[in-house]
Amino acid sequence: MPENSPASSTAVQRKYLKLCYRHLIDNILSYLLISITATAAAVQLLRLDLLQALFSSISIIIISAVYFISKPSSVYLVDYACYNPSKALRSPFSFFMENSEMIRRNERKSLEFQVRILERSGLSEETCLAPGFHYIPPKLTTEDAKFEAELVIFSAIDSLIRKTDLDPGDVDVLILNCSVFSPAPSLVAMVINRYKLRSDVRCYNLTGMGCSAGLISVDLARVLLRNHPNSNAIVISTEIITPNYYEGNEREMLLPNCLFRLGGAAVFLSNKRRERRRAKYKLVNVVRTHKASDEKSYKCIHQEEDTEGNLGIKLSKDLSVIGGEALRSNLMTIGPSVLPASEQLLFLLTSLGRKFFNRKWNPYVPDFTRAFDHFCIHAGGRAVINEMQKNLRLSAEHIEPSRMTLHRFGNTSSSSLWYELSYIESKGRMKKGDMVWQIALGSGFKCNSAVLKCNRSVETPVDGGPWEECIDRYPVHIPEVVKL
Amino acid sequence: MVLSNEESPIYDIKISSVGPGHISGQDAAQELTGMDLAMKLHYIRTVYYFPAQAFEGLTIIDIKETIFNWLDHAYIPCGRFRKSDSGRPYIKCNDCGVRLIEARCNMGLREWLEPRDHDDDDAKHKLLVSSQVLGPDLFYSPPVLMQLTKFKCGGMAVGLSWAHVLGDAFTAASFINLWGQATRKQYPAQPLRMAHCNNEAQNSKSPIREPLSVKRVGPVGDHWAMKNETNMETYSFYASWAELTRLQSSICGDKDKENQQIPPFESLCTIVWQCVAKIKRDSDVKMVTICKKDSGNSFEGVITNKAQRVKMVKTDVPVVELSPMELGLLIMNQAVDETKIIEEAMDSDNELPDFLVYGTNLTFVDLHDAPIYDLNIRGHEPVYVHCGINNVGDEGVVLVFPSREDHCDGVRVSVTLPENCISDVKSMLKKELSLC
Repeated sequence: MPENSPASSTAVQRKYLKLCYRHLIDNILSYLLISITATAAAVQLLRLDLLQALFSSISIIIISAVYFISKPSSVYLVDYACYNPSKALRSPFSFFMENSEMIRRNERKSLEFQVRILERSGLSEETCLAPGFHYIPPKLTTEDAKFEAELVIFSAIDSLIRKTDLDPGDVDVLILNCSVFSPAPSLVAMVINRYKLRSDVRCYNLTGMGCSAGLISVDLARVLLRNHPNSNAIVISTEIITPNYYEGNEREMLLPNCLFRLGGAAVFLSNKRRERRRAKYKLVNVVRTHKASDEKSYKCIHQEEDTEGNLGIKLSKDLSVIGGEALRSNLMTIGPSVLPASEQLLFLLTSLGRKFFNRKWNPYVPDFTRAFDHFCIHAGGRAVINEMQKNLRLSAEHIEPSRMTLHRFGNTSSSSLWYELSYIESKGRMKKGDMVWQIALGSGFKCNSAVLKCNRSVETPVDGGPWEECIDRYPVHIPEVVKL
Repeated sequence: MVLSNEESPIYDIKISSVGPGHISGQDAAQELTGMDLAMKLHYIRTVYYFPAQAFEGLTIIDIKETIFNWLDHAYIPCGRFRKSDSGRPYIKCNDCGVRLIEARCNMGLREWLEPRDHDDDDAKHKLLVSSQVLGPDLFYSPPVLMQLTKFKCGGMAVGLSWAHVLGDAFTAASFINLWGQATRKQYPAQPLRMAHCNNEAQNSKSPIREPLSVKRVGPVGDHWAMKNETNMETYSFYASWAELTRLQSSICGDKDKENQQIPPFESLCTIVWQCVAKIKRDSDVKMVTICKKDSGNSFEGVITNKAQRVKMVKTDVPVVELSPMELGLLIMNQAVDETKIIEEAMDSDNELPDFLVYGTNLTFVDLHDAPIYDLNIRGHEPVYVHCGINNVGDEGVVLVFPSREDHCDGVRVSVTLPENCISDVKSMLKKELSLC
């Protein structure tokens, strides 16, 4: 809502009225509960004799104690580490075009299409591609994919161990998500082999779940930690892009080649009491929404072979619109648990009004900036980010982490949320008590969101983060079209 | 070692690109001088041989990282050629990169370097460096290619293919020496830049006469190479400084005399010129081209073709009738510096002619003080370096570059001539040099 400068007294009065209304409605439940309880307790205690009063008080204390002990302990996000690619893997646009030209000599139209994509993509010339992509022709064998997997995953985990002093023997739960690459033995087995994890570690390897799988893994870790007190969990989110390379000429399938880049993250979650003090965030909630029951959403991101037999991922033209719809579904679920009651009431009243009085009333879009301080929206592409910004009515500063991550690292799939979080921290904007909303979108079509609460202010500079070298250059202005 | 066609000793070839580690150049347009364009049909091919310790323990990504760091400071050769509206080529500094070729060799380094008499001397070195030229697709042709060949023993050969349009052999050596510094984490204060275009190019003044040391060829269009009429072969021999001093005194005679001293390079020119003239009796070799570095100005930190002076030496008297001393004095005193008129001939012609410089006449190129042994990879110097200039004219090229054999400093003289006269020249040279 546009802020009016307090020019006249009516504007000031209106502002105070709004604040009173919000405060009252937001805390109405607390006010009612406290007044009722206080009255009841006072009345009761006055009528009781000493023995009964003592018995009642002790019962209340025992019930509260049982409640607090049996309540599942909170899950904390102790720390995380993002893979920082070597500059030797840098892929400037000129090289990308030269490589494409030399391999795909006959199809001028696909090359021109890719040029147009790159010009409007919002990616910089510092994004990195897997080692195999730098070869002419690209090396895309399983061995090359494994090399990329080891490079990304082991670097991220090494970085996490350095940051947190985590002993691999202390890991109780290991979850890894990587959508396309799924070798045997699995990537979790590769991690267990390298770091010599215990034989009773609970490990899960999630594949095929797209760019939103990062939060699915976090959700799975949360559920497991609820059932296993005093445990540590590592979640690794990555997308191994080597097997994803599309060698054909169909336009809808060329987009991933232009946008997907090297990236990965390792996250350390725990419910151990001793980690509480040093944990960066508390994991408040994870909400998952799946729209596969709708045919259009299901076919929106589809892996298939083209007419020439080349395997690729087809992206529908309605991607942004479908993304918006999935987001709205997710909002309906997460809204009630995060939005202040005042916003919810307004939304309810407007919806009822639209239904019963006048359909032409504009639907009320809750102001999510009142619930959250920071937003990490999956850097899927420029169009997706624009659509999300429009749907959530976010300012340029709120959407900055997503845009800058897309610019510096490209679309790193499920790990992009962590690069964005790292951006916010590196800029010195993360303070204790701040609420963070991570929104991931991916094939299915799925919209998953996670709510984090900052447990301790994060000091800058952030050591060993992916933004270490370049944070001072950001934010940058990204032109609509970069002429190649 | 038999270089038969059935089984090449080089295998497992992988091609990739390496470029600057950070955005450099920013798509700037780098103009080319007239001299640069005059040299565009030639390529400098140098192979550096390193012992196993130089690259020990480094993965290919580690090596590439040093290259990316290096090219941050030398991004102009990483660009690609474009043509302006007038048709004049320029370099677009778009970070496209240097082509990198990885290969393996099934022989050990020592075995490879052992001299074999019956082979074309250049042939084995040519396997370790790319022979790719610029064009026909100029947009995507890399001006610089590097080949890293790993030997069975762990030794490594680094083959640098450098388009002469960028700069002369001294420039090429300085360029790659920066890589050595990068492996030791030392970087220059300023990135390499190109020499400025002469303002006179805009005035398009016609030269006073047509240069005799170059030949108009083509038009080659966007394919910057010339095919030879006959096959060219190379014979090379090593001469220590002591042997060169003896050669010098045999030409000049007694030092006490007041005659002008002929320096070692010019002495070599004299001997080779005479041998070639004697073999080629029908076409008396009356004119030669001498290319030497401009000793006056310093071109440090610059990649350029301006540092090399192209001189023409002509004799009216048949060469065979002149004594070595007279020939030497002719080379010293009567060489005509044609560098300026070559540049004017290029700039004044709107059609931008294609010139052949090396090999138009028998060409002598003096690289005896080129810093090729200064490429120091992690504290290790090369055990041997071989230079070559490819795509030269039919009259041939004689290259004199530094060499180190049996721990003795000297020069290697590489003579490239048509295959029908190389063996005769070889035997005559051997005879002449053994007499000194």
